[in-house]
Amino acid sequence: MDKLGIYIHIPFCVRKCAYCDFYSIEDMDRRTAYVEALVSQIRSFRSMGTRHVVDSVYIGGGTPSVLSGEEMGRILAAVRSSFSVSREAEITAEANPGTLDTSKLSAYREAGINRLSIGLQSADNGELKMLSRIHTREDFESSFLLARLEGFENINVDVMYALPGQSEDTLAATLDYVMALEPEHISFYGLKLEPDTPFGRDPGIAADVPSEDVQYEMYLSAAKKMEDAGFMQYEISNFAKLGMECRHNLKYWSCEEYLGFGPGAYSFFGGRMFSYAKDITRFIAMPEDSVALFEENYIPTDKELAVQYVMLGFRLKRGIDTAEYEARFDDDFDMRYQEKMKPFLLKKYILKTKSGYRLSKRGMLISNYILSEILDFKEDAE
Amino acid sequence: MTRQEKIRNFSIIAHIDHGKSTLADRILEATRSVSSREMEQQLLDNMDIERERGITIKARAVKLNYEAKDGETYEFNLIDTPGHVDFNYEVSRSLGACEGALLVVDATQGVEAQTLANTYLALENNLEIVPVINKIDLPSADIEGVRREIEEVIGIPAEDCPAVSAKTGLNIGDVLEKIVSDIPAPRGDETAPLKALIFDSYYDSYRGVVVYVRVKDGSVRSGSKIKMMNTGAQFDVVEVGVMSAFGLVPTAELSAGEVGYITASIKSVADTRVGDTVTEAERQTAEPFPGFKPALPMVFAGIYPADSAKYPDLRDALEKLRLNDAALTFEPETSAALGFGFRCGFLGLLHMEIIAERLEREFGLDLVTTAPSVIYKVTYKNGEVKYIDNPANYPPADEIALAEEPVVKGSIITPTEYVGGIMELCKERRGIFVDMKYLDKTRVELHYILPLGEIVYDFFDALKSRSKGYASLDYELDGYRESRLVKLDILLNMEVVDALSFIVHADKAYARGRKIVEALKENIPRQLFEVPIQAAIGGRVIARETVKAMRKDVLAKCYGGDITRKKKLLEKQKEGKKRMRRLGSVEVPPETFMAVLKLDDE
Repeated sequence: MDKLGIYIHIPFCVRKCAYCDFYSIEDMDRRTAYVEALVSQIRSFRSMGTRHVVDSVYIGGGTPSVLSGEEMGRILAAVRSSFSVSREAEITAEANPGTLDTSKLSAYREAGINRLSIGLQSADNGELKMLSRIHTREDFESSFLLARLEGFENINVDVMYALPGQSEDTLAATLDYVMALEPEHISFYGLKLEPDTPFGRDPGIAADVPSEDVQYEMYLSAAKKMEDAGFMQYEISNFAKLGMECRHNLKYWSCEEYLGFGPGAYSFFGGRMFSYAKDITRFIAMPEDSVALFEENYIPTDKELAVQYVMLGFRLKRGIDTAEYEARFDDDFDMRYQEKMKPFLLKKYILKTKSGYRLSKRGMLISNYILSEILDFKEDAE
Repeated sequence: MTRQEKIRNFSIIAHIDHGKSTLADRILEATRSVSSREMEQQLLDNMDIERERGITIKARAVKLNYEAKDGETYEFNLIDTPGHVDFNYEVSRSLGACEGALLVVDATQGVEAQTLANTYLALENNLEIVPVINKIDLPSADIEGVRREIEEVIGIPAEDCPAVSAKTGLNIGDVLEKIVSDIPAPRGDETAPLKALIFDSYYDSYRGVVVYVRVKDGSVRSGSKIKMMNTGAQFDVVEVGVMSAFGLVPTAELSAGEVGYITASIKSVADTRVGDTVTEAERQTAEPFPGFKPALPMVFAGIYPADSAKYPDLRDALEKLRLNDAALTFEPETSAALGFGFRCGFLGLLHMEIIAERLEREFGLDLVTTAPSVIYKVTYKNGEVKYIDNPANYPPADEIALAEEPVVKGSIITPTEYVGGIMELCKERRGIFVDMKYLDKTRVELHYILPLGEIVYDFFDALKSRSKGYASLDYELDGYRESRLVKLDILLNMEVVDALSFIVHADKAYARGRKIVEALKENIPRQLFEVPIQAAIGGRVIARETVKAMRKDVLAKCYGGDITRKKKLLEKQKEGKKRMRRLGSVEVPPETFMAVLKLDDE
């Protein structure tokens, strides 16, 4: 049986953050109808996953934790009734501090959720305010502790760096604070100013973002700090205690299959990549008509997949396994890439491993540059 | 009345923005050559760039019929002239094809530098000048004041000159009658050998070069064997005709006094130089038109394709433009930094900008243009004299006995309140004050000798900004003056980038070098290694900046499986990289060269 990951998008937020460009709306009144629509869409895939066993479910957003325990239960019940879900499946829900309480957490546990990903971003209340987050550090702390009390043994905390006005000191303080709570996993990612967000449009924000050199220091010292505390880096922006890597996200980076539900969700399934339009109204109107909802729908060629595999594989600490690459794409990795990797190997941005190649931390910091140099995206490129 | 007595050949001359093109439109309308609906804004200016910039670059001509109050129908040939000092020679040749000129003066601005310059050109060509005061519909119009000014400053009677509004059409009839009454009819010898003046030509892919001529004596028809007296080229005429408002209309012949076109399967405008005399191959006219000179470029710059594979396309495009532009020169040039390109010569900076813009717009080329340079004259210690139009070829200081740079006689007309600022500007630009004349109580004319190299950059812009747009400039070349020149080299990662070298006056070298390295620092993205940027004279570094090594690029999160977007992002980054020029080991976006070019002052 093939393994399958399921992603479920919950496009609601109490308030949209000024930097975020994920699809979400603030109109909570449509929650009930949306959950119904999701359930219909999931059920309409009943016959598709018969050869698969689901080993991860990821409920992301938006803010999934705006859903009640009952709503969460209905969605996961639909998943279970439509797919064969492994007993050991990793079932993650993203949550925002300030939207969690004991009864909701207990209902989530009941529904089968066994991993929480809590968006803290910063432990500095000034920075949180600047990010227009709805919570304080204290809200986070009580959410985190409540989750532990309710039996959540696998918790990720999101932390951001390169925030406007952030200093190496405030970042270090945030990390010290987070690590003292002993989560299992830390997502550590840099703020990116997306063009169609309030942050992206505000030149004042761009001016306050720490310089490239400061960001470099922030990244390296944070990585060291986390690794010293036993959070091992396994991807460009992800750190985990041993064995606590996020199974679901690993699927994306290893080009494994996943099915996404809800507007704006992406799928790679049966050799096809597809995604749904970011339009909740249309979604609610015809959740079962996938074709009408498609924004993108194509079958990538082997060459495209091979390029994707390299692009994503280099995000991972373990890097590219050349034998695996060769087996999967019938293509000689060294023949194709060695010449182009040379300058980066020379300067130790790319390192040789026992089974292939990986990026060093310095390499990860300029991964876009490296990947855009070595990869050929054009179909006809040889 | 004889045939010639019913012909009037004239131009319209004016300072920029005084309403020359609008007046031309009104004349076209009033002679019912075109209705206002048919007129797509301004017919005579028919290049896009001209319309956008509101200036006329190439001369155009049109034949109109006018039924005058005396009951006769007259043939008007309106010859439009370029309106910028870069194109002075073409203006003068266009004027040479006429017997008279309408001098348009803005009723709110009065006489300006180009009003004077163009009037002098017209007088040199013995033209009858008919002043026309325009824009009288504006509240600030001062008709009587301007009338007086025309008489006092220019020295031509303006007592009964038409006062019109080309915009509203008011009193346009007066102008038409003035053309009939004041501008002399041509008086050519119809039986003499053909003598025709080329005042414009353009390349047409079906007919070959279409040559615009004014026939002075004799006649020409299909089948005539003609000869260009300066180039010596001979052709069999295929077709002759006249320019109507809507295009070329073939006629049986063109004879003395007329304005029209000739086609003769001519392959290149190089054979049909503006100012040349067309005559018969077998029976030459005794005297060609005086004053022919091949257009001399004054400003030079390297033009390179951003993508070096496009070199042949750039050559083809330049050749096509040269078909229509005899003033454009180019020869292949190799730069270590930019690869294969062309050293191009232009009449001035505007001409250069127009050519670069046309290359990009009409031929879809992505270009890198180096900083413009004038021609320096260098006398070597061994007595040899060389003219150098490319800074890369400038010799080391110890080989130079005497360095000279071209200077111009500049005439600036400005309202008195801006005199201080303008004198300061001229001083900054190493100008030598000659004299100052009051034109009237409110305006003065300043004369300066200025180095051409100082005005080819952004002198016009600086002048405008220091006079709220009121000051005007006209200049003409005035030979060479000794100057303390140095060659400033720019080094990236310790290697001289030939395409960034330029010649500068010693006193300004430090400031310019400083600014250039700063501008480069802003424009050069971080590389995998640290890149020192230096400005140096000889071997001596006078300014330095450093582009730090690349340390972090944007680490986009890659969640939720949105792989397509991530891929597109990297793809875009890759495309961006392809545009980069490799200068030694450093990759530089093509805009860098423009940025360095534009850093002049303020």
